[in-house]
Amino acid sequence: MLLAFPALAGTYHTQLLTYGLTLAIAALGFNLLLGYTGLLSFGHSAFLGAGAYSVALMMRYLGVSSMELFILGGVVCSAALAALLGVVCVRHTRIFFAILTLALSQVLWTLAYKFFWITGGTDGLRVPFSQLSLLGGLVRFPGADAFPKFITSYYYYVLALFCVCTVLMWLIVHSPFGKTLQAIRDNETRARFLGVRIWRYRWYAFLVSGIFTGLAGILWVPLNGLVTPDVLYWPQSGKIVFFAVLGGFRNFTGPIVGAVLFNYLEVYAVAVTQYWQITLGVILIVLVTFLPAGIVGSAVRLGAKLK
Amino acid sequence: MDKEMQEERRGFLKQFGATLGAAGLGAAGIGTANAAVKPKGNIPDRPVKVGHITFLTGPAELLGGPGQRGHVLAQEEINAQGGLLGKRKIETIFADEAAGTDANVKELRRMKLSENIGLFTGVISSGNTPALGPVAEELRLLTLFNDGCTDFLFDKAVPNPKYTFRVTNIQSADGVTAAVGAATHWPKVRRIASLQPDYSYGRNVFEHFVLALGKLLPGVEVVSESWPKLGTTDFTSHITKILSTRPDLLIAGVWGGDYVAFYKQALRYGLFDKMKVATTLAFGGYPHAIGKDHPDGVLAGVHANYHFLYPSAERWPINKSFVERYYKRWKEYPSFESDGAYVALYLYKQAVEKANQLVGGWPDDEAIIAMLEGAGIDSPAGYLYIRADNHQGYKDAVTGLSKNLPGYDFPVWDPASIVSIPIRSITAPPNWPKPGQGHNESTAAADWIKKTWPAAKAA
Amino acid sequence: MEIVALQVLNSLFYAAVLFLIAAGLSLIFGVMGIVNMAHGSFYALGAYVTAWSVAAAGSVLPPAALFIFLLLGAIAVALVGLVIEPTLIRPFYRRPEEYQLLVTFGLLLVLEDVIRLVWGGTPLTASGLVDSVGLIEIGGLPYPVYNVLMIGVGIIAALGIWAFVYRSKFGVLLRATAQDRRMAAALGIDVGRIYILAFGLGCFLAGLGGAIVVPSQAAVLGMGVEVLVMAFVVVVIGGLGSLEGALVGALIVSALRTITIQFWEEIELAALYLIAAIVLLIRPTGLFGRKA
Repeated sequence: MLLAFPALAGTYHTQLLTYGLTLAIAALGFNLLLGYTGLLSFGHSAFLGAGAYSVALMMRYLGVSSMELFILGGVVCSAALAALLGVVCVRHTRIFFAILTLALSQVLWTLAYKFFWITGGTDGLRVPFSQLSLLGGLVRFPGADAFPKFITSYYYYVLALFCVCTVLMWLIVHSPFGKTLQAIRDNETRARFLGVRIWRYRWYAFLVSGIFTGLAGILWVPLNGLVTPDVLYWPQSGKIVFFAVLGGFRNFTGPIVGAVLFNYLEVYAVAVTQYWQITLGVILIVLVTFLPAGIVGSAVRLGAKLK
Repeated sequence: MDKEMQEERRGFLKQFGATLGAAGLGAAGIGTANAAVKPKGNIPDRPVKVGHITFLTGPAELLGGPGQRGHVLAQEEINAQGGLLGKRKIETIFADEAAGTDANVKELRRMKLSENIGLFTGVISSGNTPALGPVAEELRLLTLFNDGCTDFLFDKAVPNPKYTFRVTNIQSADGVTAAVGAATHWPKVRRIASLQPDYSYGRNVFEHFVLALGKLLPGVEVVSESWPKLGTTDFTSHITKILSTRPDLLIAGVWGGDYVAFYKQALRYGLFDKMKVATTLAFGGYPHAIGKDHPDGVLAGVHANYHFLYPSAERWPINKSFVERYYKRWKEYPSFESDGAYVALYLYKQAVEKANQLVGGWPDDEAIIAMLEGAGIDSPAGYLYIRADNHQGYKDAVTGLSKNLPGYDFPVWDPASIVSIPIRSITAPPNWPKPGQGHNESTAAADWIKKTWPAAKAA
Repeated sequence: MEIVALQVLNSLFYAAVLFLIAAGLSLIFGVMGIVNMAHGSFYALGAYVTAWSVAAAGSVLPPAALFIFLLLGAIAVALVGLVIEPTLIRPFYRRPEEYQLLVTFGLLLVLEDVIRLVWGGTPLTASGLVDSVGLIEIGGLPYPVYNVLMIGVGIIAALGIWAFVYRSKFGVLLRATAQDRRMAAALGIDVGRIYILAFGLGCFLAGLGGAIVVPSQAAVLGMGVEVLVMAFVVVVIGGLGSLEGALVGALIVSALRTITIQFWEEIELAALYLIAAIVLLIRPTGLFGRKA
């Protein structure tokens, strides 16, 4: 059904779902840290931003137009950033990890904001799809009527990458590496006694998490057409956390569902009411109070009860 | 004031063809199609959906609210006559610009693809028009921006606009207008301090003000720069810093709620007694946002667009009528955003009517666009003209000195101090090279000023 | 160099406000272990209530009497806190920290729009209060007496909190509960009552911060979100859960901000976040923090 979506749903819903898919990739990356390693990061916007800005800067200063090159360059940048931040952050846990990630992502935000002659400051940098090419130059989007065509092609592209990421993450969390992470999450002391190098595992997890979220940023920016410092601002990290909680961070598929659902929620809240903040706030409170396992988690529990 | 100052003042004004005081407009321009002309052909009676994104929350609501009210007033008036071409009523979908640029992009797409709007209006922030303009072009959606006046929109982001138009004066005119106003009223200033919000608008104001003032007055130097973040409420440290550098003049581009906070704090430090203050947007929000404690003699800018006192009621009945109707509807006086939003809808109406006379039936976008390019309309602010090459609106720029007058609960302009400048004197002419076409200035206007304005004669 | 004196005073005023907010945040965390993301919104609420009541009563009462509204604004916020704690916060004590963060984040969103619903978009001011106490001259430059008075309020508040927490009977109960909740309960202390009062006190402090700042600035939408990040930086530097830390952190942050604005504005924001990050690295519990 996903494959037939563009034909069935039209341009608007296709692009909306594409946004949702990119956010789902970010949520997948994020949840490796939260759900499987037990570390709550309030700074994942840093990776979204790193991915997005890499694309914009490459396009603007290096004249790159191939999506594949963007992915390559952006992933390298996100990995480097994650490695650096990870060294600093994974020494701490719980509240301090959260606050540290928040503070560091804010540093990035101020850099993007202040160095306006490179990053365009609050105006941001444009990434028009007309200058983009997919599949190594095979697919381009010239001409005035290109928008719907772009949306359709891009949807499939993102869908493909989304599937790849999902499979990859599934393999990761079910591998010995993933199992070790969960062991560390559940009982750090015991893991240490078993000889596990805690710090190193956490750092790897941080690295992988940053790469996935960076990829999400890379894919997100051509859809948006623009990258501004807003993508790095801390409420954006809060949104990523929201996805995971909404869907349920104890399940593999939870964050995916949460991301896609939140995307729709946000669009309709803004469209329907001036008081969109209170709407999202109330939903969040209700969720956290009554459905702490998230939607998927609660559905799973319900399913187990009904059996 | 002494003879010398009067001479200098006349000199500036002559340079620009500007006028001082309420002796404002001359003959009106092309009349609007106000006479009831019968529409031709078959008009459907489905309503026309219009999208309007503006600041409904936050400190910028001081600007967004009046814009919304101006839009609604025009909508109600047009609908009271049966709607566009007498048959199609206007329905507007509003959304909050404060949701952020990304959310605005998504919302614009939703409005077009899902709600099928036929026209898009609004947008205050200069950060948003360069993001939304290209999207409007992608979506082939006729768009009349009410503000978001950055030069960047038509200089770089949408250099060959087809569907995108903007009805308010271009941003570079703002800083230049303030410079002309400052030079007119205070030709002796030399030491300049700057207080700008730290984003593209602030940088644009700073650059063009300093550039223009440097051409108008000899020996001008900038002695301090302050760049508070947009949304700052605490200016005390900046104020102290400004005071410590002892300038003659402060140019302040802070606006909305920020400006309110600033002037109240500045009053306590006696800042207004120690230097002249020029602003680009002090009176840009709804008029009653500024209290009677606001000092007199501040150059109170209105984004170089419109203040409800000018053109004066006797000389320009369109303004008198607009202000009366607006006040009756909303129990408050209009701001420049009100005028911009109001005129945008009337401009659209005019273009639709003209296109209908030519092609009959409900005109398609191509026809409406053709009628908009080069369109002129008599608006409350005066004569507005849409240039065909860049789809940008041009009307005479105005600014004036603040004064507390009886009869109003808030400060207004001293009518004798109003400076009105023909817009052609302070903006780059058609087809002037844009940034990247032979020069690397930030705007076409900056390049034009550097190359064509004579340098100030040394004192 | 009169400017230096003025900037020092400005810095102290801002530090007083930051201290009140941070002290409230630290108190709530110290006693209940909750990081209250809505704390900035309580500060905003205090500002709005004060500004609104000053405007409403301004025509009836003489300006000097209006100072009472600073206190009333803080008390109003405390009352709101007393209602919120048992309904929204208490269910989350036993839950993982993530949920606590999230529910207070949701509360932040709700409060921001409640403020807008009640008071609208126009900034509210109470500047009459500042004008009523006039100006003094410092080295030939005018300076509002109000700021000096509020620095005094900050000092009194600091002493008051210290006396309360370390010298009063209730303070002993508070500290006991903070150190070991189970033991305190076992000893017969009504932990629920302690919690609700601690939360109320924390909100009172935040509300007071908003109340004393609003006559000198304005109550604008979004002021809560903006100040929250600053409050976090303060408690990170000073140490979450520590009142001395809140004081020292507030002084450091405020001084840094004033200095960078005067000399090198570009790095104002970045410098603050970097300092926070550095402190977290070297000494994650902050300068005075206890819980690691």
